[in-house]
Amino acid sequence: MKFTYSVIALSLVMGLSACGGSGSDETTPTTPTVPDNRFSFVATEMITNLTDEVIVAGYADLATKGEALLLATQSLINSTSQADLVAAQAAWKAARQPWEQGESHIFGPVDSLSIDPHLDSWPLNTSDLQTQLNSAAGFDAETIKGWNDDVQGFHTMEYLLFGDGVNDNSKDIAELTPREREYLVALAEVFRDYAKQLDDAWQISHNPQDANALPYAELLKGSGAANNTIYSSELAVIEELVNGMIGIVDEVGNGKIADPFGDSIATADTSKVESQYSWNSLTDFANNIIGVRNVYQGEYTGQADKQGIIDFVAAADATLATRIASEIDDVILKIQAIKGSSDLPFRQAILDADGRARVQIAVDALSKLQTSLESDVLPLLSKWKAS
Amino acid sequence: MKITRKSNTLMSVMMAIGLVGCGGSGEEQSTIVPEPPVVTYPAFTDITAAGGETTTYDANNSGHGFSTPAPNLTENELALHLEGDVNFEASFTTAPNTAHPALDGLGPVFNNADCNSCHQRDGRNSTPFLAANETRVKLGSAAGIFLRISKAPDEVCTQGTLENNYCAPIAVPDFGGQLFHRGVLKARSDWESNAFVGQADVYLSYERSEISYADGKVVQLKKPLFDVENPYDAPGETKQSANITSNLLQDDVLMGWRNGMPVFGLGLLEAIPEADILANTDENDTNGDGISGRANWVFDAIKARDGVAHPVSLGRFGWKANTPSVRVQSLGALRGDIGITNPLFPDESIAGTSLHDAYLTRTGFVDTGSDENGEPEADEAFSDAVTFYAETLAVPARRNVTNSNVREGARLFEHLNCTGCHVASFTTKTAGDIGGVPMSDSLKGQVIYPFTDMLLHDMGDELADGRADFLANGNEWRTRPLWGIGLTQTVNPQAGFLHDGRAATLEEAILWHGGEAKNSQQAFMVLTLAEREQVIAFLMSL
Repeated sequence: MKFTYSVIALSLVMGLSACGGSGSDETTPTTPTVPDNRFSFVATEMITNLTDEVIVAGYADLATKGEALLLATQSLINSTSQADLVAAQAAWKAARQPWEQGESHIFGPVDSLSIDPHLDSWPLNTSDLQTQLNSAAGFDAETIKGWNDDVQGFHTMEYLLFGDGVNDNSKDIAELTPREREYLVALAEVFRDYAKQLDDAWQISHNPQDANALPYAELLKGSGAANNTIYSSELAVIEELVNGMIGIVDEVGNGKIADPFGDSIATADTSKVESQYSWNSLTDFANNIIGVRNVYQGEYTGQADKQGIIDFVAAADATLATRIASEIDDVILKIQAIKGSSDLPFRQAILDADGRARVQIAVDALSKLQTSLESDVLPLLSKWKAS
Repeated sequence: MKITRKSNTLMSVMMAIGLVGCGGSGEEQSTIVPEPPVVTYPAFTDITAAGGETTTYDANNSGHGFSTPAPNLTENELALHLEGDVNFEASFTTAPNTAHPALDGLGPVFNNADCNSCHQRDGRNSTPFLAANETRVKLGSAAGIFLRISKAPDEVCTQGTLENNYCAPIAVPDFGGQLFHRGVLKARSDWESNAFVGQADVYLSYERSEISYADGKVVQLKKPLFDVENPYDAPGETKQSANITSNLLQDDVLMGWRNGMPVFGLGLLEAIPEADILANTDENDTNGDGISGRANWVFDAIKARDGVAHPVSLGRFGWKANTPSVRVQSLGALRGDIGITNPLFPDESIAGTSLHDAYLTRTGFVDTGSDENGEPEADEAFSDAVTFYAETLAVPARRNVTNSNVREGARLFEHLNCTGCHVASFTTKTAGDIGGVPMSDSLKGQVIYPFTDMLLHDMGDELADGRADFLANGNEWRTRPLWGIGLTQTVNPQAGFLHDGRAATLEEAILWHGGEAKNSQQAFMVLTLAEREQVIAFLMSL
């Protein structure tokens, strides 16, 4: 609205100035001074880099890890080797990493193709799962895709690979029944298929119905094009990315941690802990925020410097850009510190007084980061003078 | 509105005067400078704050555009909204689930396990897609679309009374009013061979056609068709079976697709004064514009609960305006679509059917829909929060309103009389209840631009589902609000438009308009390509 009126006002002023110029006085036309607190930044390289080198690279990694997980579960079918089970557990954790980091940009095909609920539904329905394991039902991947999400995906595989997680996160391979092994392989195949579908949606066509539809990556990189009904401008893409970062910081702090944490040990609820069977919760949470760092910095940890949201922020306020980077790093460290010197998993830490103090420190750091992103970074969108 | 329109015209005139004044500075005083035509634009042309003070500007370009809380909520309201947000995403499981008792009670037959799956990111659901080389797809956990079902009435119901159940659709015996294509593992007696199957299997396929403009441009269209097979009361049976015994497959059973709708801005729509909606009714088309506009009057579960003698209210929500409030709509969906009983709807929607009776007997009455104290599966707090959430999601601000094509599109939108049904603006009431409780201050007295008259219109045979719903006939649909429509596929790139998601683009959606909207559709079709694109540009700015 303000912009509209200022344009009209400016037109009128220019009209009047021109009239004024028709006289003999050579007075310099006065133009109103409009305070300009906007900043310039050429976003194309940043968007291209974040799309290709962070998001697409992450989903490609997930697809690769999905293949590896399937192989690892297949090796369990007739195995009596504990090492094979440990390897399958490691393959599950390896697949979990790009998935959790990808939650910092959970928009587009992961949602529109319902891949998120298929792969990461919680809670499980262990009683239906057990019934099916005891039944004579066939476990082919296509059949299972038609079943409810609460008996498939990451956490069902986790439950079968690690056990119930109450007292430990280890399992003897002898405890794995033939039906469980068969089901695990089918679940891993379902997982592999969805991970590939997600990868294809970003790199080949975002619409499984239309092979000629653009890859989702191109929709981000080609924002503003006439045929792009999804991203109308580079501003839209940056807004998507920044809100994605805020979304996962909020979810980790106010959902994943806060829900099971409760107000006290008495109200803590371990049934709400994510990845509670494998005791991978803290790694999950840290990976969520590492995902934020990937988007912010523009590269994965240890890779050569490339453009990320930090460059956009720095164009407006270099001090702020550095502060946000520190706050992200701090959150990751505080989450990793929750385990303490006795290496407590999250589900035990929330039942331990010292552990709870460390959890609170991490929650405070998350809250601080969320406030900074919402109050300091998000407003930059309206101050950005796109070139 | 009219004042703003005058001011727009005034500005054009002022600028014209400015130009004339400049011309007059030359020597040829006698030259008559033709006045440029004064182009007037509708009052809504320059509006960005579509939801008044509930409008969001932080997420109105991206996929977060439907998912932010109204910025004018109080701190306590925001906390309630965020609690509702968690509930909206809560995924339910089969009862009993001793590890997660708060989240059990799913079904036993249902369409989806959480709200978000049919209102993805608070918007429309994904359009089902067919696998390569397949002609139809079986609806499963990825489907956000379902079928409403009812028996054909013997006569048109025009006046709701207790005796005729207020003109409510007639339930299909042993099924109900909505087809639940999914189930918990043991929902059916034949669960070992039909695991996780609901009342019946539903398949979706597409009938394809095309439509051409005078300039030769051709648009491909698709219309979703359904096949219903394998009903629980006659497993394996189809419409092609030699001897049909299922109640569901009888010829007088009517079925119609329903997609999920966006859930932002709903409290504002409920706060539009009833009289202002009724003022636009024109049942007999007395103004001769080919557009009638009828109100639906529907059963109101809140009035019934409160003992009101004639529990009927103006219908506002649902594709046929068959529910009166966000609360009835939301909690009805919680009980129906998901199968979670709640204080307003304490009984399972399939209670009393053979499927339910057999399920309870087979599973030992552990999933009756209420606990040992008679409490429903979702409590009052859960219900209140999820309702408040849907009432108070922000409306995304419009974008690109100064773009010349968007402005011309706004002018054409009015010129084509799209505004005959898609009424631009209302002002919400300043006091009172919504959904039976005092409304939030955030919703009061807001000048909003939803682009709907909230009334029923005959949209022609091509869009008709042939199912009456209270006073709405088989051809009638409630005018969809258009606010936020330009962000639809930013929120969900797989989303479609119209009640069954048949339109992949806004252009296709316009072309499907028939009946009372036929004149506007035909006027759109004779526009030049550039003008048609301007209309779309305007819609994309909403």
